Amino acid sequence: MPGSIDLETRSATTVALLGRDYRGVSFELLCDEGDEVQAGAALMRDARRPEIKFTAPAAGRISRIERGSRRKLVSLQIEVDESAGVTSYQPPATEERAALRVFMLESGAWSSLRTRPYGNIPNPDAEPAAIFVTALDAEPLAPDPRPVIDARLDQFTAALGVLAKISAAPLYVCQAPGHALGIAQSAGLRCISFTGGHQSGLPGIHINALCPIGFGGGEVWHLGYQDVISLGQLLLQGVPWTQRVISLGGSAVRNPRSLLVAPGAAIDQLLATELVDGPMRILAGSSVYGRPLSAEQKFLGAGQRQITAQALSDNESEAKQARGGVLIPNDRLEQLAPPGIFPVPLMRALQVGDAERARELGALELAEEDLAPLSRACASGSDYGLLLRAVLDQLEVAS
Amino acid sequence: MAASLAPPGGAVGGYARILRLQLLALVPVSIAAVLNSGYQYLAVLAREPERMGNDLRSNLAHGLGAGYDDPGLYDWLAAGLAHFLPLLLLALVIGGLWERIIAARCQRAIEPGFILIALLFTLLLPGSAPFSHVVYGMSFAILLGKGIFGGDGKTFLSPALLGIAIVQVSFPSAAGQHPLWQGLAGYAGSDAVALFHRGGEAALAQAGIDLWTAFVGSTSGTLGTTSVLAVILGAGLLLLNRVISWRLLLAQLVGLAVVATLFNLTGADTGASSMPLHWHLLLGSFAFAAVFIACDPVASCCTNPGRWIQGFLIGALVVLIRVANSTHPDAVIPAMLLASIMAPLIDHAVIAWNIRQRGRRHV
Repeated sequence: MPGSIDLETRSATTVALLGRDYRGVSFELLCDEGDEVQAGAALMRDARRPEIKFTAPAAGRISRIERGSRRKLVSLQIEVDESAGVTSYQPPATEERAALRVFMLESGAWSSLRTRPYGNIPNPDAEPAAIFVTALDAEPLAPDPRPVIDARLDQFTAALGVLAKISAAPLYVCQAPGHALGIAQSAGLRCISFTGGHQSGLPGIHINALCPIGFGGGEVWHLGYQDVISLGQLLLQGVPWTQRVISLGGSAVRNPRSLLVAPGAAIDQLLATELVDGPMRILAGSSVYGRPLSAEQKFLGAGQRQITAQALSDNESEAKQARGGVLIPNDRLEQLAPPGIFPVPLMRALQVGDAERARELGALELAEEDLAPLSRACASGSDYGLLLRAVLDQLEVAS
Repeated sequence: MAASLAPPGGAVGGYARILRLQLLALVPVSIAAVLNSGYQYLAVLAREPERMGNDLRSNLAHGLGAGYDDPGLYDWLAAGLAHFLPLLLLALVIGGLWERIIAARCQRAIEPGFILIALLFTLLLPGSAPFSHVVYGMSFAILLGKGIFGGDGKTFLSPALLGIAIVQVSFPSAAGQHPLWQGLAGYAGSDAVALFHRGGEAALAQAGIDLWTAFVGSTSGTLGTTSVLAVILGAGLLLLNRVISWRLLLAQLVGLAVVATLFNLTGADTGASSMPLHWHLLLGSFAFAAVFIACDPVASCCTNPGRWIQGFLIGALVVLIRVANSTHPDAVIPAMLLASIMAPLIDHAVIAWNIRQRGRRHV
């Protein structure tokens, strides 16, 4: 629905922060089950890097802290109650790099940054080679970022000003062609248009085109446009943006549209009356790069912008059974792979868990989403996203 | 909206899908093989009835009622089936037997890949091939080509190619020397390429081979490889379904065209070096093997630059061996074997170059 900015707001009674969204973080709780929390209040911090805070996506009462194996945090769930209020933060008085970083760390905005390679939250004192803002979404049935950004252009611009100053590295705003943001470009802040297929919206593609990652050990940072808007809201009004735009789409959705929801909202509450009957596959993300929604994931993940529900025909369930063969090289895999990557050698290296070979073949440039089309196309049924994650874990320990 | 939901291009599919499509693509080739072998057989008998032998295939053709006086479609079909089916059935039995033994020893299910291997192997044989060669070649194809590498989808060479290569190397003179397949005017081998080598276009014209008959496939040659038309039909199906790489196929044509043109311009005016491009394409088994053997998705290069290099190499080697090595007038099997063995090396070089590029980045 390009052009329209009046989106329906869908409220959920439960929202959550998910541990799996923050790779490598061991959470230290700053609150307890049953506490009343304000929206934007710090709930947890990283035990190893205590400057990094995680804040409440909505106001309410902490209803459940769910832990998995080895007491790893699975989710921190909040029963939404608007009356608890909102925590406000004092915007930084100076434009000094350190002060800006402290503000982002305190307000929880820092936790929306991700590094490439590895996809971690960057260290508070790290220096990236570049920062990428993903301001386009080329995935099928994704919400159109243009009206979302245009309606909140002040916040967006203010946040870009800060992101350009938290490091000496250039800030790249990757956008759809023809989307005039009215931002003054400079050496430190450049707007780049990307066109192409579904993959033109992936941060991995932008990084590969503008600041490709080799073996030098450096890192780049990236974050999504909605997190930029949230940072802008913190800068201008002192409070975080407690909504996100997501789209519901797919053949099993009654009324496909974009919605305004709370970050981390419970998915079953969002989908309650939206789906048609019959067998279906629900994906977190798009039909191309999305992952099947597992039973454990009951909430929207950080940065997740869409839910796709596809009705399944008998044909497709049959195709699923046919899996479990061997990897057959095919030049369609080349088409689906990110640029500069030779898919078949990489897939073979991932299948046997050869981390060094995978690193040479470009594993450091990739995240799970980049390999989702290969997993779908390959007859072996391997989940190359999971295999890549295992390899990246090994490489990170070794580095 | 529903259309945009499908992942781009859809699933590539597993070995079973590739097998189905390859077999389907071989249907026109097999029909052409049956009709043409019957046609050739009866044409020879019509000219020299005393060549009628007393072997299984001749008796079978005779028993089915194939007559060489004024032969029609039924006669060609019957005579062709009498030559094609025994070879195919034997290849299937031998292939299935080895597959069964390997499956039992490896404690896995029987894989259907041997069906395709047996069909490709049969199509690359002359219609008069001795049954012992089928047993010998198929055994090598299944054991060395497939079994020891772990089965379907894990092969290093195209198993059918390996089987045929071993038969050709082991019995270099036998493949084309059955009296029936020498009976054509001017033939000493089963191969129209050899005919051109000796006599040029004049010899072809004398044997009744012109552009049209070579394209449709009513010339003498190995069973499945004469009809370029049938091969094109099969190639179209495989290309549309993205089973084979168009890059590898095109690169073979480019390699063949470049090197053939070079020889035409610089080489001698007679023999193979004067063979123009269209005869390179139409005669011999190049077209068939380029589509069904070289483009085996498992046994060829797995990177796009590698596919271009390997394809060019195949095309170039085919011309080179045709010109330089008169013991392999057709040259396709040795050329593909060499290029297939080179495939991992080519991929290795391409990947090393890719890693070097990645190492030059500054982040």
